[in-house]
Amino acid sequence: MINCASHAVFHCIDEKGKRNMKSKRMTRKGQLQMTETIAILFIFFILLLFGVIFYFRYQKIAFQEKQEELLAARAMESTLKALFMPELICSRGEAEPEDNCFDVLKLNATQKVMQQYLDEYYFEIFSYATITVQETYPENKTWVLYNKPKLEFTRKEPTFFVVTLRDELAGKDQPEYGFGYVAVTVYS
Amino acid sequence: MEVTFNWVYILIAGAVILLFFVGLVARQKTVSEERLSGEVVEVMSSILAGAGVSEKTKNFIDASGLADYTLYFSCQDGVGEFGIKDRPTRTQNSIDPIFAPREVQSSRIVTWSLPYTMPFKVMDFLLVIPSNVKYYVMGNDAEFVHEFLNSTEGIERVFVLGLEQIEPEENLQVRIVDTSGAIIPSSDVPAQLQPFEDAEVSAVVFTGVNQVDFYQKQGPSWQKMNQKAARVISLPGERDAAKYAAIFTADDETYWCNMNKAFTRMEILTKVYGGEEIAYGEAGGKIGELLSYYKNDISSDCQGHLEQYNENALDALTKLSHATAACRLQQESCLDLIEAADLLKKINDKLRISCSVSLY
Repeated sequence: MINCASHAVFHCIDEKGKRNMKSKRMTRKGQLQMTETIAILFIFFILLLFGVIFYFRYQKIAFQEKQEELLAARAMESTLKALFMPELICSRGEAEPEDNCFDVLKLNATQKVMQQYLDEYYFEIFSYATITVQETYPENKTWVLYNKPKLEFTRKEPTFFVVTLRDELAGKDQPEYGFGYVAVTVYS
Repeated sequence: MEVTFNWVYILIAGAVILLFFVGLVARQKTVSEERLSGEVVEVMSSILAGAGVSEKTKNFIDASGLADYTLYFSCQDGVGEFGIKDRPTRTQNSIDPIFAPREVQSSRIVTWSLPYTMPFKVMDFLLVIPSNVKYYVMGNDAEFVHEFLNSTEGIERVFVLGLEQIEPEENLQVRIVDTSGAIIPSSDVPAQLQPFEDAEVSAVVFTGVNQVDFYQKQGPSWQKMNQKAARVISLPGERDAAKYAAIFTADDETYWCNMNKAFTRMEILTKVYGGEEIAYGEAGGKIGELLSYYKNDISSDCQGHLEQYNENALDALTKLSHATAACRLQQESCLDLIEAADLLKKINDKLRISCSVSLY
């Protein structure tokens, strides 16, 4: 402790002033450091926020892309399954069935059967989808084989495949062939 | 004092940050493993779906990337399941029959799709054959042995005259195919197979017409796995899908579970060919359309083959429909399916020759 009585007055005032000034300088330095820390923390959290937003946006886009990819794969898979269904194919006894060909007589019957077993059996094969066969020649008949669209679907993927339509009763002594396409639309 | 405090603060903060990153890495590891197993199951599902519709094709899948994983296949109560062992990702399917060993850990997998006909095509059976199983074929059914060896190129298989000729290789599991039905039931496990684990040695024995038994090594002897006789429901002919399925499937339980999937589809298919009315012996579906077309054509054999002759398509299809329904309820009734299917096949041939149309 400084004893002012034993010193000249101006000396004492000088000491006090120095102390005050030092104290003020330290407080100001502390405030400056505090502000600096807050600023750093602020910038840090802003960067963190940017990082989090970027990450979640990236995840969302990646998820959407994955969903689209899966839907496209499901569309192809469903079309493939539909093309090879024993309920539809143009069989030839014990011989190999005709490629990419649907039997018109079977189509008429399958339309009813698939409707009947839609939830019980076919849903596990095609899930939410619509399968129609559209004849383009010689007539314009449409067979809706499977119709189970998702009520609130976010996206759908249609796939088309050209098929021949064999009608065993239309020709004389040999079946008559028409053309058409199978449309498979899947929903997610 | 201030300096010490700073160090403690830095240490704590450092430890917290380190812990955070360690936790993040651990979590990411679990997530990526789950994702990988999910992707593996997804890829396998696509491969199997593709293979399932590609009739009579064999696909050789390089699974060296999956060699560390054990794939498992099971089928219970009509629901098949496959996935990676001890991982949560799995896929279930009650439609497509997959005949495979219980567990597969192999760098190469063969998938083979065979059409199952009864007498019309019911569906494709998918056989999953790992390269680390060797099939030893024996017995006196020379015709089948010859056909089997010809049709299974690319699969580890060899013909042996007797059990003593088996020369097992390291890292290869053994499945014996006894076509005569007399060798395995009357023998012990041969000495050269004794060092193998019980689960690594099994046998499939065709004990009679349309009958198969599954055996497993149990110490020095064979243990029959099926309590009742397992039936092979198929029509005679080459590449009998039901017979091949028995050879490549794990046991009677999974075999019959997968066969039931085929019978379910068959019941639906009889309705395509005969309509809902076929259950009461009346014509609907495709046969209904054929009958309406030929109704006024009295001169031809078509109406006769379809409805009027003693052996006609409508009766045969009705019989097949009834037999299918009965088979789904009781395994013993399934043998009636063979007779009904055979009759329908004969009538379909006659129909094709005399009318240029066919039911299937």
